[in-house]
Amino acid sequence: MQRAYMSALCELAEKDRNVLSLLADSGTGYDELFRRYFPKQMLDFGIAEENMVAAAAGLALCGKIPFVYTAGAFLAYRSFEFIRDDVCFQNLNVKIVGMGAGLSWSTLGSTHHTTEDLGALRSLPNLTILSPSCPKEVEKAVKAAYDIKGPVYIKIGMNNEPDIYREEEPFVVGRNRELRSGKDLCVYTTGSIASEVLTAAELLEKKGLDIGVVNVPTIKPLDTAEILDRAVKYNTILTVEEHSITGGLGSAVAEVLAESDVKVRFRRIGLRNCFAAGYGTHAQVKAANGLDAAGIAEQILAAQK
Amino acid sequence: MTAEDLKNLKVMRKKMFLAAYAGGSAHLASAFSSAEIFYALYQKKILRTEPGNPQAENRDRLVLSKGHASLAWYASLAMAGFISEEELYTFIQPGTRLSGEPCPNGVPGIEAATGSLGHGLSLGLGMALAAKLDQKDFHTYVILGDGECQEGTIWEAVMAAHKYQLGNLTAILDCNKIQKMGFIEETMRISSWRSKWESFGWQVDEIKDGHDLDEICEVLRRKNDENIPRLVVANTTKGKGVSIMENNPNWHYKMPNRREMKTFVSELEISEKELEKCREHI
Repeated sequence: MQRAYMSALCELAEKDRNVLSLLADSGTGYDELFRRYFPKQMLDFGIAEENMVAAAAGLALCGKIPFVYTAGAFLAYRSFEFIRDDVCFQNLNVKIVGMGAGLSWSTLGSTHHTTEDLGALRSLPNLTILSPSCPKEVEKAVKAAYDIKGPVYIKIGMNNEPDIYREEEPFVVGRNRELRSGKDLCVYTTGSIASEVLTAAELLEKKGLDIGVVNVPTIKPLDTAEILDRAVKYNTILTVEEHSITGGLGSAVAEVLAESDVKVRFRRIGLRNCFAAGYGTHAQVKAANGLDAAGIAEQILAAQK
Repeated sequence: MTAEDLKNLKVMRKKMFLAAYAGGSAHLASAFSSAEIFYALYQKKILRTEPGNPQAENRDRLVLSKGHASLAWYASLAMAGFISEEELYTFIQPGTRLSGEPCPNGVPGIEAATGSLGHGLSLGLGMALAAKLDQKDFHTYVILGDGECQEGTIWEAVMAAHKYQLGNLTAILDCNKIQKMGFIEETMRISSWRSKWESFGWQVDEIKDGHDLDEICEVLRRKNDENIPRLVVANTTKGKGVSIMENNPNWHYKMPNRREMKTFVSELEISEKELEKCREHI
C-alpha cells in the first residue's frame, strides 16, 4: 500500500507543484524515488511530528498542499492537538497519511499499533477520514483526498495487502462498497482486514452460512443511508475492524443504528478494551487477537446463535 | 519615541482595558506587556501590510503564538484601520469576531488561530518555508511568550528553521519573565535565551527595554543575516502601564476589583463617561 500511496503522490506532485511530501524521518525506499523526481517538494522535519503537522498548516495557509506521512500512531496520538487546532479548526488543506494501520507493526507492539486512531480522529469537525483496503483503493483514496479542499486523514496498511475488488470500481468519498452479497447476515469492515473478512465468509460458506460483506472506505462522512437501507434487510449486522471496538467503525455504525428506528441485532468484532496481545508476524498477531479469518469466522458464528 | 507615540500608547492601553471591561475579562497583563511590540509592527510599519489589502500575496505574515495577548493585536489593528474602533468593544461578546485567543474569523490581519501554547512558531515556520519554496519576499514574524518556551514544540521548530535556513523568519520573544503561577525563573529555571537559541543556529538580537519604541524599531529593522532565522528578545514588564499590575504574577488572568479599579481609572485616565459607554455593551 506504501508503493500505491507513493505512486499516486508522484502523479499529483507532477501535476501540481504545490503538492508536498512531508516526512518525520519516516521515509522508505519509495520516498527516495519521490525525492529523486521532486527534490524541492519533499521536506523532512526529523523526528518531530507535532512541528511537522503545525508547519503543514502554515504551508497550507500559503497555498501549499502538504501530505504529512508517518506512522498513524504517532500522528493520531502524539500530534492530535496539532491536527485539531492547526489543521481541523482552521479547516486547512492538509492531508494526514498514517501508515501502519492496525497491527501492521506486529513485532513492535502497542506503541506502534494504530488501533485507536479512528476513535481519536473521528470526533474532529472538518476532517474527512479514508480507510482504503487494498493498493488500488489507496491510489484512488489519495487522489480523492487531493480533490477535497480541506483536511483529510488516510490510514494505510503496510503488509502486502491483496487487491480485493474483482472489477474496477470508481472510488466515491462517503460511499460504501459491497464486496460480497449474502442473505444470512451482513458484515461491515474497513481497511487492511477486509481480505481476512472475505476469507472468513468463505470459511462460513462451507458451513452453510451465506454472509454479505461491505467495505467502508470512508469512515467520515459515513455512508449512513447505505447502512440503514441494508439494516432493514438483515436480522444481524456485525462490524469487523483491526482497531478498538470503541470509537472506530463499530462505534460509528452503532451510532447510526442507535439513532434510527431499525430493529436489528448488532455485534462488534475488534479489540475489546485491550491493547493487542503478543508479537510475531502480522498474521500471527492478528490470530492471537482473534482477528485472522478463522477467529473472525468463529466470532461471527457466535453472533449468529 | 515622540510625544504623539507616548500619547497613542496610553490611549491604546486604555482602549484595551475598556474592551476587556466591556467583555468582562482578558489576559490584560500579557496584552499590556506586548503593546509596544504591536505598536512598532503596525503603527511604525515594521510589518509590510495594508488595511486596504490585507490579503495581498506578498504581505508580511504575523502569528501571535502567545495568543492570550490578543487584545494588543486587536487594538493595533483598530488603530491601523484594519477593523473599526467600535468593533474593538465587541471583544469576546456574543457575535464578535474578536475571540479571546486569535482566530481568523474573517478579521483582516489575523493570519492563523492560536491559543494552545507552542503552536505558533511551527505555523510561522510553515509560512516562511512556503515563501522560500515559492521565492516570495515576504517576511514572517512570530510573537512568543517566554513561559511558552517550556513547550517542546518550540524547540522542534527552532531546529527546523535552522535546517531550512529561514532568513525570512523572525521570532520576537516577549520576555516578561512571568507565567501564570509565578516567575519563570522559579518555575523552570530558564536563563540565557541568547546562548540557547544561538546554539541552535539562530541569530539573536536583544531589546533591553521592550517598551522603548525607538529601541524596538531599531532592532526589528535590522536585517536577518542571510539564510539565518532571528530571535529578538524583548525585555518587557508584564502588566506594563498600570502600577499594581506591573511585574505581579497575580494579574495573569484577572480584572480589577472595585478598589483596584480606582488605580486603573486614574493611571489610564479613563473617564466615567467612557466606562458608562462600555457598560452599555455588558
